[in-house]
Amino acid sequence: MAPKLGKRKRVTREELEQPSRSPSPSSDSQESDDEDVQALFRKAFEAKFEPLDIEPVQKKVKQDGIEHKDAEVEDEESDWSGVSSEDEDNNGVEVFDYAANNRQAHEKASKAELRAFMSSKPPTLSSSTPTAKSSATQKPSTTDSSDPTEVEHLKNDLALQNLLRESTLLSTHNPTYSTRATDAPAKPSSISTRHKIADMHMQSLGAKGSAFAQKNMPMSQRKGITAKAKLREDLRRKEAKENGIILERDTKKKKAPSSLAQRRDRGVGGPSVGKFKNGTLTLSKKDVASITRDGGGGGKGKGKKGRR
Amino acid sequence: MSRGSLTSVAVERSATSAAEKVPSPMLNRTFEFNFHILRLVHTRNMADETVQTLLQFSGHRHLTTRLLLSTLTGRPIRISKIRPSSTRPGLTPYETNFIRLLDSVTNGAQIQFSMTGTTLVYRPGLITGCAEGLGAIGGTVRHEIPRECARRGVSWWLIPLAILSPFSKGPVNVTIWGEGCITSSTTHGDISVDSVRTSILPLFRNFGIERNIELRVLKRSFAPSQGKSAGGEVQLVFSHQVRLPKTLHLMNKGRVKRIRGVAYAVGVSGSNNARMIEVARGVLNKFVPDTYIFSDVSPAPLIPTYSKSDPNGKTKGAVGFGLSLVAESSTNCMYSADVASPPLGGITPEDIGKQCAYQLLEKISQGGCVEVTSTETMLLLMAMGSEDVGRLCLGKDVLGTEEVVQLGRDVKVFTGAAWGLRGHSSRDESEEDEIVVSVVGRGVGNVGRKVA
Repeated sequence: MAPKLGKRKRVTREELEQPSRSPSPSSDSQESDDEDVQALFRKAFEAKFEPLDIEPVQKKVKQDGIEHKDAEVEDEESDWSGVSSEDEDNNGVEVFDYAANNRQAHEKASKAELRAFMSSKPPTLSSSTPTAKSSATQKPSTTDSSDPTEVEHLKNDLALQNLLRESTLLSTHNPTYSTRATDAPAKPSSISTRHKIADMHMQSLGAKGSAFAQKNMPMSQRKGITAKAKLREDLRRKEAKENGIILERDTKKKKAPSSLAQRRDRGVGGPSVGKFKNGTLTLSKKDVASITRDGGGGGKGKGKKGRR
Repeated sequence: MSRGSLTSVAVERSATSAAEKVPSPMLNRTFEFNFHILRLVHTRNMADETVQTLLQFSGHRHLTTRLLLSTLTGRPIRISKIRPSSTRPGLTPYETNFIRLLDSVTNGAQIQFSMTGTTLVYRPGLITGCAEGLGAIGGTVRHEIPRECARRGVSWWLIPLAILSPFSKGPVNVTIWGEGCITSSTTHGDISVDSVRTSILPLFRNFGIERNIELRVLKRSFAPSQGKSAGGEVQLVFSHQVRLPKTLHLMNKGRVKRIRGVAYAVGVSGSNNARMIEVARGVLNKFVPDTYIFSDVSPAPLIPTYSKSDPNGKTKGAVGFGLSLVAESSTNCMYSADVASPPLGGITPEDIGKQCAYQLLEKISQGGCVEVTSTETMLLLMAMGSEDVGRLCLGKDVLGTEEVVQLGRDVKVFTGAAWGLRGHSSRDESEEDEIVVSVVGRGVGNVGRKVA
């Protein structure tokens, strides 16, 4: 309780001095009305503008003291009214109040803070991380806005990207697009094209599939459709190549070789060969051959024939 | 330098069995015998010896730093004249215990003591961390600190271990426990576990090492007086290993924006915490209004007695209270202070609180971006970084301490690159008592990661 003692002492010392110099707002001394009013104004002012108070250091210290005392005296009046009045009467008495704990309310840290600091992890700098993030996000935007040519470039880039992406749709739905490239409208004309573009955009943003894809269909029909689509695509690519038009990259090719070459990723602890099911390890002919023959893989047709 | 009363000549007998990894307290009694040991942990080609010459050091001081540098750079060392004229010559129990810890997180290390224990040859191995089968049980290495090592706080083991951890091959997960495991700060100058967690471990973030780092205080304990034991337990989990720590440029110390702290009481009333907090806040609140000190009250640890008459008997460990304060600046520089009640007691919580607050203010007044207890961590990590010059601003008083000066010399011996020092040319003249230390990274970094 040492700091409290210190504070009280300082206050009382000032209090000792005050009656002679200036009226303190808290003291109920019998002064003239003018001074009382002044004190009231002062009190109101302090209550309003306390943090903004800019005054010479000496005065500030004094006022701080007054404020403290003010608050304390008020508290005392609520709890210990008799003592405070006594205090006013004979100035030599100091009041030690061990029980009062005014700071307790804002002393408590929030639960989140407690968790952040007292967990076993090194405390995270909660206040610093957002600032770092915000500065990181702000930086590029400021550089962009500062340079008009950069903005222009970025815009053009975006337009070109869009054009490349949507070229398939535009060429199929608007065959003369390429010849009228200069005066073509920026927005696609037909509604269906616009829907398809939106659909593509959704897919590029991570939609699971196209909204236009039909879900249920007889297999023969689906096969026919995919075959036709593939044929059309191939034809388009071929023509584009012949005419020297650069198309978007073909993405479908990757899948085919990977499924052939790569084996399914088997879990740890499973058999390295064959299928283990219902307590039996089933080996296919291929597996047996790969084990028995010293060659292993059985990749070469020649060897196979020779051995058999 | 005086030594613990229970210890005899500090040579330890190596137990070669598997029980060595989890030594029982009974086994530790055997440490008191004077045995000459020549300890081959894992056999290693003798060809290595001819290739690498031993770096020579003398004296018992800065032992952990040298062992650490040796392990990080992979250079074998020979330390001679370890307390040759003392009545108890050679390594102390806590020093041998540290070597034991080093051995349990590395693979292939080779340690030789001379007959009297005054000479040590250390050939470092690969820092493997806590891989299963290499001393780890259930993914964690349990390292015991016996009673005779109770002169140092557990931070003496933890800080070097934390410096090693980013360069480990696998994750590090070490539980340190035992009758000599003191989690509080000690009169010897070791900081508390809370300070390690709140002021040292956040520094790794500067080097891009920040994920999966934890320091769990499982049992709190205090420096024991005569006839008592500590009995703390701490677990360090360090699972973020890197190839190379990032190059650090820390020139601006900023201004202290907040102060946090932990007041801990073990086996005594929690009101002691409140009293310490009250006083410390009274001092610090004037400077930084954002001051919060958290309170942690725990019962005294129970230590099994292992007596024949009462096989399940337990005694209470040492009790006490202490305070750990951390000031954090606007540029994330940390300053910490630590005071705990002495083993014999007789100091009021008010005094501890006040002392700790003043200590924190003193640390801040020394300036620089790093205070003295964390300089080793920062400078060693910088020295182990990529082949680039990192800069760190230190206060003159911090740089002038014996540990930092000797650290600079040792780093030069091990890596061949000396530090560059120059005055801090700041805009305002008030910061003239700061010095910028330029450290060239070694560019080797984590050998285990490179191979893997």
